[in-house]
Amino acid sequence: MKPHLQVDGVSLHFGGIEALREVSLTVGEGELLAIIGPNGAGKTSLLNCINGVYRPQEGRVLFEGNEITHLKPDHIAWMGIGRTFQNVELFRNMTVLDNLLLGRHVRFRSGLLRGGCLGYRNPEEMAHRRRVEEIIDFLEMEQWRKTLVRNLPYGVQKRVELGRALAQEPRFLLVDEPTSGMNQEETEDIVRFILDVHEEVGTSIILIEHDMGVVMDISERVCVLNFGKKIADGPPDAVQRNPEVIRAYLGEETQRA
Amino acid sequence: MREDTIPHLLWRNVERYGKRVALRQKDFGVWQEISWEEFGLHVRRFCLGLISLGLKRGEHVSIFGENNPEWLYADLATQSAGAVAVGVYPTNPAKEAKYVIGHSQSVFVVCDDQEQVDKVLEVKADLPALRKIIVIDMKGLRRYRDPLILSFEEVERLGRELDQKDPELYGRLLRDLQPEDVALMVYTSGTTGPPKGAMISHTNVLNMLQALTQVLPQDEDDETVSYLPLCHVAERMMSVFVPLYVSSTVNFAESLETVQLAMREILPTIFLGVPRIWEKMLSGVIIRMKDASWLKRKIFEGFFQIGQRVTRLRLDKKPVSLGLRLLHGLGHFCLYRPLKLELGLLRARVVLSGAAPISPEVLKFFHSVGIPVLEGYGMTEQTGVACINRPDDVFLGSVGKPLPGVEIQLAEDGEILIRCPHNFVGYYRDPEATARILEGGWLHTGDVGEWDSAGSLKITDRKKEIIITSGGKNIAPSEIENRLKVSPYITQAIVIGDRRKYLTALIQIDYENVGKWAQERNIPYTTFKSLAQNPQVYELIRREVEEANKDFSSVETVKKFTLLDKELDHDDDELTATLKVRRKAIHERFGALIEAMYKG
Repeated sequence: MKPHLQVDGVSLHFGGIEALREVSLTVGEGELLAIIGPNGAGKTSLLNCINGVYRPQEGRVLFEGNEITHLKPDHIAWMGIGRTFQNVELFRNMTVLDNLLLGRHVRFRSGLLRGGCLGYRNPEEMAHRRRVEEIIDFLEMEQWRKTLVRNLPYGVQKRVELGRALAQEPRFLLVDEPTSGMNQEETEDIVRFILDVHEEVGTSIILIEHDMGVVMDISERVCVLNFGKKIADGPPDAVQRNPEVIRAYLGEETQRA
Repeated sequence: MREDTIPHLLWRNVERYGKRVALRQKDFGVWQEISWEEFGLHVRRFCLGLISLGLKRGEHVSIFGENNPEWLYADLATQSAGAVAVGVYPTNPAKEAKYVIGHSQSVFVVCDDQEQVDKVLEVKADLPALRKIIVIDMKGLRRYRDPLILSFEEVERLGRELDQKDPELYGRLLRDLQPEDVALMVYTSGTTGPPKGAMISHTNVLNMLQALTQVLPQDEDDETVSYLPLCHVAERMMSVFVPLYVSSTVNFAESLETVQLAMREILPTIFLGVPRIWEKMLSGVIIRMKDASWLKRKIFEGFFQIGQRVTRLRLDKKPVSLGLRLLHGLGHFCLYRPLKLELGLLRARVVLSGAAPISPEVLKFFHSVGIPVLEGYGMTEQTGVACINRPDDVFLGSVGKPLPGVEIQLAEDGEILIRCPHNFVGYYRDPEATARILEGGWLHTGDVGEWDSAGSLKITDRKKEIIITSGGKNIAPSEIENRLKVSPYITQAIVIGDRRKYLTALIQIDYENVGKWAQERNIPYTTFKSLAQNPQVYELIRREVEEANKDFSSVETVKKFTLLDKELDHDDDELTATLKVRRKAIHERFGALIEAMYKG
């Protein structure tokens, strides 16, 4: 499999706190990789390093063979890496439609003047609107098209966020805990949509997930982080049996429970 | 051109109306129009596609999915081939879908998406006759490697190829169609036993159409929104057959959730609702009014009362005074028009309620705001409609007078017997049940009814469901249940009392409305269960029950009730696909709760 994204020896510190230590991983083209790990293991930090929110002190990130380690987040987004956030980061007072159109911002070419003069008649805008409608159809959100995001149930907001990331037409998608705070039905829905994106569009995906059932169910490969270090990487069932993983992650779960 | 079978009606329209809009579907936020020509082309191709996959005359094809144009293509394509179209409720769990697909010995099943495909795959081992699963929307199925699966487009492509090879074939198929051929099978919802497949012929449908359009004339400018399950005979009638007959336009919303929005955009002129829909609309209005500002509420109450008075006078065919008429006219702008617009019923000319009995209270409400809902009555076994209230001749609480050509007799025990040219052919693979229900040439409906003084039929209840209390009094539970369901806080009510001293009820609260009510009063709850167990909620429902009790005589009042702590569900066998209650299942499942109401 051709590597789509390579993380090569990435380390990240905040003052004396070590968030990531020499983490390396590779995601192949069209692969779905799950990253798991206890709270504070550095999962989200790793995503932040990939899409340029944080700059790692050491190591490199390569996307489609090009180094993106020191590029700005918007540039990385434009290159084709989309992401969703653990806590919903949407414009709460805008409609679903507008939030999705905003996701297409990186793909807009016409400027303020042209957009302002032509408005909805702008052929470019119409093309974007069509694309957004396809996403609405894909994620089955027709009934909320014109609803303000703040009036939507949490599970649907997460779906809108996924839609916003998709609007960018990413070739690579970073999904941060899509099922946190969701009920069973909402979890099943969002997981189905993520799988659909993976299969229909062929997008490569890194998925951070807490719900072990979901991880074991849908991912082709699982990578485990603990205290900023990668401790395992492999097919779900092998990872599940890895003694270090059991100690670090699952073991801790049982203690807590 | 022949007009004696359903597919011939389609081709007559293609010839006559060609480029005119036949169907409209909202896709990607825009209404897409499909002309009669395109409609015809899809049907022709899909039909030939099925033929090239080996479909033979008299075989069965199941259609399993939500309403969309492809449903209609599949329906008419199947019929064009001389085969029988069988609808399966999209909400059916795998087990029930298996029953229908298996019992009908369907060779193909047309599914609308992954959800239905998964259900069919789950039970495919028990469906030996099944040759292909044809899928309309292939989303999520790329990974599936099952050789049974085939896309709708692929079938149309096969059809196109066959058409090029043998352009006369489709014409020959149509020529071979006989009016007395079975066109479709409708499985009854099965409140008591397993569903039965009612075979309906082209002639049945055409006779029905003729009678129905005599009473409720429609033409090519009419619009309807298709949203109830198409496998139900009433919806099939209203959104496939009548539109074919009168060449009107059928609209499909994007999904069930957006039907209300689609209604507002299309403003259909013909609309069929089931009692559940009308109850929901009514409780929506009541809840909205409770939240409205003082002024709005007063306007609503005032003009609603005027509407009520005018309606009563009109229904009684008494003159309405000038003053009242003026006020009513003012009300048109202040209340009736905006409300009708909001509900998407502004242009609705023919508004019907059927499929189950509805409370006269609900009808009264809609009549008072200028939406004259006409209640009708019919059975799958006689192709849909037997009686209906006429627009100029409405008796609330009755189902109206028989359609032209329909003879109705009441048996000694009050059972309604029907003889008409659209009584069905029979039950599939069940000659005994057929003989039983058509004994003596009359359709034995199993419903008990009576005539009122004006010659309208009143339905008392299902014969089997009539409660005889230990005091010997006959009581129709559905009447009481429907009255209870008028409350916006009550979704389901099951009245119990057969061979008991008094009546009791199991009540399911409306999760949304009661939840909202609780939030406003800062009553904490987490789930349906915790809400239903809250004593304040019990108190709320107690007041609603008391209110409903006022409309009944003392023996007919509900003395005790219990709130169900789960929502009744089709998946759990408690409801049928049409949301009718399966009493037996409920009595078994909640037996302990029922017994508790008769102790102490």
